[in-house]
Amino acid sequence: MSSAAPQRLFERLGAGFMSYAQEVGGVTLVIWEVIKHAVPPRLDGPETWRNMYRVGVKSFPIVVVTAILVGAIMVIQSGMYIEQYGAYGLLGWGAGYSIFREVGPIMIGLMFSGRVGANNTAELGTMKVTDQIDALRALAIDPIGYLVMPRVFTMIVMMLLLVVVGDFVALLGGAITSRYLLNVSMELFAWSVITYIGLPDFLHGLYKAVAFGFAIAVISCHFGLRTSGGAVGVGRSVNASVVGSAIAIFVLDYFITYLDS
Amino acid sequence: MATEPQTNGWQERVLAPIGEPMLEVYEIVRGIASTFMLTIYYTLNRKKRREAIAEQLFEIGNKSVMFIAFTLGFLGMILIYQAGYQAMRITGDLQMLGALFLQLLLRVFAPTITAMMLATRVGSGIAAQIGSMVVTEQVDALKMCAAQPIQYLVVPRFIASTIMSVVLTIFAVLVAYVAGAIVANTAFNVNFYTFWNLSFIGWFDVIICLTKAVAYGMAIPVIACQAGLVVTGGSEGVGRGHRPQWCTAVWPS
Amino acid sequence: MIVIDGITKTHFGRPVLEDVSLEIPTGSNLGLMGPGGAGKSLLLKIVCALVRPDRGKITIDGVDVLSLDEIELAELRFRIGMLFQNYALFDFMTVSENIAFPLRQEGKLNDAQIKAAVDGILETVGLPGIGHQFPNELSGGMKKRVSFARAVLPEPPIVFYDDPTAGLDPVTSSKIFLLLKDMRDKRGVTSATISHDIQGIKDICDNFALLDRGKLVFYGNRQAIEQSDIPIVRQFWDGFSDDELG
Repeated sequence: MSSAAPQRLFERLGAGFMSYAQEVGGVTLVIWEVIKHAVPPRLDGPETWRNMYRVGVKSFPIVVVTAILVGAIMVIQSGMYIEQYGAYGLLGWGAGYSIFREVGPIMIGLMFSGRVGANNTAELGTMKVTDQIDALRALAIDPIGYLVMPRVFTMIVMMLLLVVVGDFVALLGGAITSRYLLNVSMELFAWSVITYIGLPDFLHGLYKAVAFGFAIAVISCHFGLRTSGGAVGVGRSVNASVVGSAIAIFVLDYFITYLDS
Repeated sequence: MATEPQTNGWQERVLAPIGEPMLEVYEIVRGIASTFMLTIYYTLNRKKRREAIAEQLFEIGNKSVMFIAFTLGFLGMILIYQAGYQAMRITGDLQMLGALFLQLLLRVFAPTITAMMLATRVGSGIAAQIGSMVVTEQVDALKMCAAQPIQYLVVPRFIASTIMSVVLTIFAVLVAYVAGAIVANTAFNVNFYTFWNLSFIGWFDVIICLTKAVAYGMAIPVIACQAGLVVTGGSEGVGRGHRPQWCTAVWPS
Repeated sequence: MIVIDGITKTHFGRPVLEDVSLEIPTGSNLGLMGPGGAGKSLLLKIVCALVRPDRGKITIDGVDVLSLDEIELAELRFRIGMLFQNYALFDFMTVSENIAFPLRQEGKLNDAQIKAAVDGILETVGLPGIGHQFPNELSGGMKKRVSFARAVLPEPPIVFYDDPTAGLDPVTSSKIFLLLKDMRDKRGVTSATISHDIQGIKDICDNFALLDRGKLVFYGNRQAIEQSDIPIVRQFWDGFSDDELG
């Protein structure tokens, strides 16, 4: 038995590694399919509009609420240092810089994956376990073109738009907080933002938004289409999908930060 | 609103879209509050099943370690990279980088992001599991055996999640700090000894960090269980039942 | 004696039960029939206060069920066994743990006694030696029988059977009906049985009720139902239809 213990350890390590490799490979295959369908663009028009409405309009409130709170928190936290040094002119810079570059895209990306990505996996997973995907194939409709492409397109566009909206709502939340909590006038806050923050900072966030949108879409579609085992299987897929999206968001964020600075 | 649909023409059209989401939010908040009170009551007053708590501790804690290490490690690297880059451009002084980083980590990022990750991994799982138990009548069967679903299903998860949230937050601080130190060393040539600077940290920061961790740890299972218990409408309902726990992450600070 | 008085329930603005009144005398078995979606399962859940009706009153042995709080309800539910339509077996427990669960909650017997009782009832329902398996390893008929065992093992004076023979072969279902008959004749339980198997419940029920789209269409004993001239009752009872469905 003593020789079996290390063997079991290796077995478990290997099994874990293999299952990770399988997921990464599956996601890569979905990306490959998406690229193949992207030139020339083949996606279903009405389905795309329907998704745009659902994803964009339905996530709008939660993004606005999150963004206001994120702005407020950034101001409260940087206010701690600002008051220490009396450098009130830097408040807008501190809040704006962190919101535009990091906190905005990450927070909205995580919200987006929890709401839209999870929903997407649940929907595709339910279609899979109730044989609707096979029914599409039987009707000679390509599931990638009909289901995956509109979702990928929608999520990239909507993530981009939501980050733009979220960035400015967060700044607004920050400005209001600094006015009433730290007594920094909104004019000074706005001046600070305009003076110190440049277009590159804003664009930096948008690159991330596009990358996160793509990652969330591809990962949630992969886990949705891979679902098996009834309602329980759908729950498991949703879980795996949000976990995978969160990891992808942080990893991509690091590399974009690294490349673009 | 819907009581006199014929008589109130424009008033209804104006007020209904405002009132409806408000009522919905009110219902959600009320459900969560009552689940929370019941959970506290059963946690304090009834005997608890050790093995169930141990199982949940493993499920919530041990299985999240790799995930938390991965995400928070990358977060530490990102934050140091951005902060160091800015500091280089403006002041050129990286002496305080480590101290400031640790303070921010304790006060905001470690508890909040750890809680979001726990809500992601654990919360949606709990909601889906309890949701499928509702759909398959298992929750009704529990009641028929005189077992309260909240006592039986929520309390072990509640206790385990509260403990593990604290443990994982501390772990997250360590991981992010070490990852940050490595990036600071390789990218900006900050010495490890310079980075290891505790001068900014008071007890206050530690207390804030742990208080947040406890609060999030308590909130996640309650909100997720509530989301699962109100699931209706077959298997699609199970997939939909994980929206509300994102509210957890919305009330930081 | 269970008295169901004027139960009304709406779901999303749609009435699912409308003013249903019934009685189940002590020691008798009520046969509940009706097309799918008529509200039969819902009615049984309302009697156990698992679902709250909009209007109406439930009394079990003189106790007003809907006015009880959760602690008193727990006491009451110990005295009611329920065989759920979808088995409702706990999928995180083995078969033995499932069957033993109500006994453990009750806390009167020790572990050895519980184990003996569980083995005994598994023998009775014809499934010896499957105690260590998990519910998702079983077939539908086996799950039904395990669910039956869980419902009746604590020997409750009241048992509700929600479609006990759905999806079972004729041999197994006649065995189940024999068990049901024994429950009434030998243990004197008060019970209600939802079933589509009219031939099966003909001989084991004392009274019959027929629900259609939330309304009680017929309620009476065997003699009354055989002489009834309501079309839908005739169609259910005789098992075929001469004219169009009502």
